[in-house]
Amino acid sequence: MKRLLLSTVAFAALGAGTAMACEPDYTGVTLNVSTQNGPAIASALAAAAVGWEERTCGTVNVIEFPFGELYPKFLTAMSQQTGDFDVIGFVPAWLPDFSTYLSSMPVELQEGSNWDDIHPVYRERLMTWNGEVKSATMDGDMHMLNLRADLLEDPEEMAAFEAAYGYPLAAPVTWAQYYDQAEFFHRPDDGLFGTAEAYRRGGQQFWYFFSHAASYTNNPSNPGSMFFDPETMDAQINNPGWLRALEEYKRGLDFNPPGALNNGSGDVRPLYAGGTVAMNIDWADSGVLGSTEGSIEGHVRTAMLPGSTEIWNHVSGEWDTFDEVVHSPFLAFGGWQLAVPADSENPEAAWDFVAEVISPEVSGQAIVTANSGVNPYRFSHYDNLENWSSVFSEEEAASYLGAQRASLDAPNVALDLRLPGFFSYTEILEIELSKALAGQVTPQEALDAIAEGWDALTDEFGRDTQLAAYRASVGLPPL
Amino acid sequence: MHGDAVRHDKVKYAFIWPAFIIVLVISIFPLIYALTVSFQSVRLVPPLPPRFVGVDNYVDILSSQRFWGSTWTTATIVFVSVAFQYALGFLLALALHHNVRGSSLYRVVFLLPMFIAPVCVALIARMVFHPYLGPVNDAMVGLGFGNLPFLTEPALAIMVLISIETWQWTPFVTLLMLAGLQSMPSEVFEAARVDDIGPWRRFWDLTFPMLLPLSVAVIFIRLIEGFKVIDTVFVLTGGGPGTATETLTLFAYNEGFKKFNLGMTSALSFVFLIVVIVFGTIYLAAARRLMRRYA
Amino acid sequence: MMENRSLRIVGLVGCLVWLFFSFFPLYWVFVTAFKPPLAVSQGATYIPFVDFQPTVQAFRDAFSGIRGDFFGPIMASISISLVATVLSVFLGAMAAYALVRFEFRIRLASGLMFGVISIGGFVLLNGLFDIGVPYALLVVLVLALVVSIWMNRYGLPGPVLGNNDVTFWFVSQRMFPPIVSAFALFLLYAEIGRAGFPLLDSFFGMVLAYTAFGLPFAVWLMRDFFSTVPVEVEEAAQVDNIGRMRIFIQIVLPMSLPGLLATSMIVLAFIWNEFLFALLLTSGDWQTLPILLAGQQSSRGDEWWAISVAALIAIIPMVVIAAILGRMMRSGLLSGSIK
Repeated sequence: MKRLLLSTVAFAALGAGTAMACEPDYTGVTLNVSTQNGPAIASALAAAAVGWEERTCGTVNVIEFPFGELYPKFLTAMSQQTGDFDVIGFVPAWLPDFSTYLSSMPVELQEGSNWDDIHPVYRERLMTWNGEVKSATMDGDMHMLNLRADLLEDPEEMAAFEAAYGYPLAAPVTWAQYYDQAEFFHRPDDGLFGTAEAYRRGGQQFWYFFSHAASYTNNPSNPGSMFFDPETMDAQINNPGWLRALEEYKRGLDFNPPGALNNGSGDVRPLYAGGTVAMNIDWADSGVLGSTEGSIEGHVRTAMLPGSTEIWNHVSGEWDTFDEVVHSPFLAFGGWQLAVPADSENPEAAWDFVAEVISPEVSGQAIVTANSGVNPYRFSHYDNLENWSSVFSEEEAASYLGAQRASLDAPNVALDLRLPGFFSYTEILEIELSKALAGQVTPQEALDAIAEGWDALTDEFGRDTQLAAYRASVGLPPL
Repeated sequence: MHGDAVRHDKVKYAFIWPAFIIVLVISIFPLIYALTVSFQSVRLVPPLPPRFVGVDNYVDILSSQRFWGSTWTTATIVFVSVAFQYALGFLLALALHHNVRGSSLYRVVFLLPMFIAPVCVALIARMVFHPYLGPVNDAMVGLGFGNLPFLTEPALAIMVLISIETWQWTPFVTLLMLAGLQSMPSEVFEAARVDDIGPWRRFWDLTFPMLLPLSVAVIFIRLIEGFKVIDTVFVLTGGGPGTATETLTLFAYNEGFKKFNLGMTSALSFVFLIVVIVFGTIYLAAARRLMRRYA
Repeated sequence: MMENRSLRIVGLVGCLVWLFFSFFPLYWVFVTAFKPPLAVSQGATYIPFVDFQPTVQAFRDAFSGIRGDFFGPIMASISISLVATVLSVFLGAMAAYALVRFEFRIRLASGLMFGVISIGGFVLLNGLFDIGVPYALLVVLVLALVVSIWMNRYGLPGPVLGNNDVTFWFVSQRMFPPIVSAFALFLLYAEIGRAGFPLLDSFFGMVLAYTAFGLPFAVWLMRDFFSTVPVEVEEAAQVDNIGRMRIFIQIVLPMSLPGLLATSMIVLAFIWNEFLFALLLTSGDWQTLPILLAGQQSSRGDEWWAISVAALIAIIPMVVIAAILGRMMRSGLLSGSIK
């Protein structure tokens, strides 16, 4: 109730000064804003629309489609220039395929304090394509490790763990420690399982695999070489770093609840929130669910994804070893973005609406509104801890926001794959991955098949254009 | 009204043209479009200019393991499930026709599965067949089978898909066969009853032959529609593990709506059309022979 | 009559088994709609109040609109599918009647000619002369029809197609997988829209597409129902000089009412659940229910309670219709009075 009140007050305050004036005046303008079915994201857009309508006298029509069909729907509409949509809410991975049909963000939005407030990982990398700002992040997103204080800080558990593994129990910093803890807490007879990750094809499976792989393949001395060789565009996915990641990802099945091969990211969440598992890997949603609807309220702890002291170097063909653990937190998915298709009849009003949605005031409310699906992406979001009191205890909020901020600030942060023909690449990946997980082929065979398929696709799409696109996506200058 | 009058009565055109024109207008362009595109390499992503590739798309499809695998999977699901649907549906229709106790309740409940959107059915099935949290698992554990990997073991997954198809589409057969039973002239049966012909012979000598044309039509529609099975597979297994449970339309959907490889999808659609026509023609020829035997 | 009684018992038991089989998933949906999240994620629960405390939160969410607007799609679905069903069953029945009572003879050669002219002509006009899709299509369609009808008059060599083949042509329209057709129809609608006649996201466009979608079923099924109608009644009417259309509407249709109702239900079920065309051809105003249903499976996992509520909402109008039609089909009520 308090939250509701707050947001109404905020909207009223926004509206009061300008309601009479219609500033700027968009009377008679109707914006068709489209994204996935609510509540996540769609409800945040609808909430922002209320304030925008009051300020500008325009109207906003939020049109929702199933997530699975969003890509074809947007692509067909924009390529045929039907003018159906003025603002689209979509996923960074699609930006390469969509960019030709999108207008660029007006320059006046790319300056000032509101602009600088956006974390540079989003501002400078995920929102741009080929040097132009084509989209606006409205939601921050990354994989994180969710833990439970009731287990980690239990003196008996701590003593038993240290006796068994020879080091104190704490948030795991390497994948080896992660598996130690998964093994330690895996007690099926007591209804407690070690960990939960998503393994179902079509259930965000490959992002979990990528999260493991980043730690072994995102070599800081060869930036941008995680997925492809940025000099030749040769697929890297069958190198020893990826192999190790796949073997570990598969090994995790031993510590998951039974039937884990059917679990998508949506299933992983309640397992954690309901206290069935000791930890899980997920986006920011698990933490919120755990402390609002779950049985582990007050015990939610969040950490950056584990790292590694060994990273594969594809240039030397050897493992590089590091004295300190290198964290390569993986920005899986990368958060929802807004863009204005070039065939929109009201681009000016559309960008004005986008600016409203991502403004610090409106987005600052969205991140603490239940079910909005919006997670922090601005510096101001991370700093205002008191906003979070409706969701988290103080300790929970500190670890939750701290883990996210630390991931973004990590010098070796790993960005998601963004490449024209994204679905063609991930289809091969999903097919082979599911074979390897079901034990039909060995991990090495699966990875070799993926690499072969990826190279064939790259050749089909044109190696030079794909290479240029890949370099742009990882922030490398053109060759 | 036979002979010349039937052939030349102009009114027949007034009856058939509206339907003919609507179907033609809506389906001719997709067909032309698909045919021309199937000989080209057309991709919306990444947007490459279309180029003529002759029969390359067709050659690629026919030489791909994945195509033959998905044809086999589809055919298995369709033929087995349609056989179940027909047998069960007809039996239920007979029972309803003879007004078993409570038939007015069944008549409504039996129809419902058909009216649920396939994507919904698939989602419901995923709940029911959840290998850990679903009721079927509970039942199987109760029967001593233990936790079965319903959706991640290809043979089991295909059985699950067949039972879902049967669940949803048996009502289709029931409904039409019931309507068929009700349109049969009752005099024939009165006569049979007077002659004291047993129910078994009455069925095989009277009911079955009289409903044979309808049966042929009903099975045929189920075959055609069954070949397009996609939602259940998509939601339950995503075609996996690997491509072990992928059906033809799912294959085409991924090529078309995920990868926007339109040339390949169009060629695939035509190959699909040919596969269905081949199966359909064989089936109709067999059915005609059967009908002639009874005629 | 001993045998008859044991058969009745077998029939009853069979019906009860099937009742359980078809009803259990529906029951599951029904109870799941009332489950709180934890009653789903911690193992199967069966009976409200015993296994779990029911909650109406999922219904509240659905009606508050945060999971999408249900009212609009329901109205759109009902109006589009009812109109399209009536149209396709009526027009399909007319065509089926013609196919049962009259003889059609179409030369294969003229059919092929139609194909060659329409495809070749379209490629020529659109590809080489750059004429817009709708115009090119209109020109070729009229041209190809006129030429092939004209050629059909004057004897052509080659096999002759009969009524069975015409029926098969109708049904064959359903054999083509919908993926490409839906996309191509979207392209066509978009082009026509650019020419000034908007079909995308319009009632008319959807009804047109769905009428064509339902017609093949209607033709194929009604033909079999009409073939059981005795021809003598019609002949008597014809002697009295009653027009064909009146015979059809006043005599033939009522006599095959069970078939007509069954066919309507089948066509309605198909249209009600159609997904791919609805996805591509609608956006804001005429979005139909299946799109909304599919959307309940969100990117962030399955919320079974929400899916169940959506499924319940989508099925209620159909329960009503099935109940009404089911009553009308009660045996004896219709067939007895006519024959």
